[in-house]
Amino acid sequence: MMKDIVKLGLILAAFAAAACVGLAFVNQATEGQIAINQEKQLNESLKGLFPEAEKFNDITKELTLADPAVKLEAAYLVERGGAPLGIAAKASGNSYGGVTTVLVGLGLDRRIAGVRVLDTKDTPGLGANAAVPTYFVDKTSKTTFPGQFTGKALSDPFVVKEDIAAITASTITSKAITKIIKASADAAGARLEAIAMAPPAPADAAGGK
Amino acid sequence: MKRLWNIFKAGIIYENPLLMLMIGLCSALAVTTNVQNGVGMGLAMTFVMLFSEVIISIFRKVIPNSARMPIFIIVIAAFTTIIDLVMKAYFPELSKSMGVFIPLIVVNCIIMGRVEAFASKEKVLDCVADSLGMGLGYTWVLVGIAAFRELLGNGTVAGLQVMPAGFEPILFFILPPGGFLVFALFISLNIWLKGRMQKAAAKSAAKAEEVAA
Repeated sequence: MMKDIVKLGLILAAFAAAACVGLAFVNQATEGQIAINQEKQLNESLKGLFPEAEKFNDITKELTLADPAVKLEAAYLVERGGAPLGIAAKASGNSYGGVTTVLVGLGLDRRIAGVRVLDTKDTPGLGANAAVPTYFVDKTSKTTFPGQFTGKALSDPFVVKEDIAAITASTITSKAITKIIKASADAAGARLEAIAMAPPAPADAAGGK
Repeated sequence: MKRLWNIFKAGIIYENPLLMLMIGLCSALAVTTNVQNGVGMGLAMTFVMLFSEVIISIFRKVIPNSARMPIFIIVIAAFTTIIDLVMKAYFPELSKSMGVFIPLIVVNCIIMGRVEAFASKEKVLDCVADSLGMGLGYTWVLVGIAAFRELLGNGTVAGLQVMPAGFEPILFFILPPGGFLVFALFISLNIWLKGRMQKAAAKSAAKAEEVAA
């Protein structure tokens, strides 16, 4: 009896060990490419929000979100020629099918420069349409769900089905993403205000224009 | 050769995993909202099924009966993780749109069922034929259902606009109830096809007998 248990355990362990070795090799082979993909996606998204940007400074530690349900993943102070252009914040929060990650850009005018949905686990064909570039909440003007946030002022209400058009049959997703956007844009706005009050590096006074 | 062909053929219509065996339906209905997802899911399933069946068939004599389930799960989970990582690395878009359904292949009853009912007893070559047949049977149904639902529910097929601009998408087909309805239509189509094929087979068998007599 005892011998049987040990034998079964050993066989099971052998299979598990073989599977682990195999997975370690595959992980090693794909790890680099996955990291490159993620970085490329982030860079492309940042460039898409601020086409004129030259430099992205990591200021993740300097931003605090008021809403505890939204988690700040990363934040970048976007600069061109030493002058700030705005802040891009990557934040995540719970949506219908799991954690959704969103990148929000806020310009110096306290208006949203753009929004990208980086990752969503919501239902394909419904909530996941938030990240689909060919899904339009407004077909006539070809506005995507994240696209409608571009140009919105921080003082706007950000209420789904009032000033925000929802994704069809995906109200939970729409509300969740709106909440993440609002929370991170508010935090970025507060930070921008602080920067405007006290310019960090007065190296080039004429570069303001 | 003939035997392998028969095993392969069984998975496509006669013993189609979705339409005849009716297992693994949950993820099948969930991903079939567009054609790319259907193709991706079908190929990922076929990959995992092929390698799991082959590995388990090779080791079928050393796998103790009382510990077979955990061993099957280890093998299936390993290959699922491999396809998940590979898709993340080389097909990031597809991997993103399929979301959680790729990792969920681990608990898909089709693979578990085929491994338990077939691979743990049969020879390696038979398992290759069986997994490819089952994989193809799974894939054609997914792509068929997805094309139907995407066309009526979104006006597109594989992301390309097919319906005229004035077409108002019938959202019902993208939603779960529409999935069930289309699925039922495919079941009846498959039963009709099977009936016809059986009749044809019986006829040719009778003819062959007549000739022999």
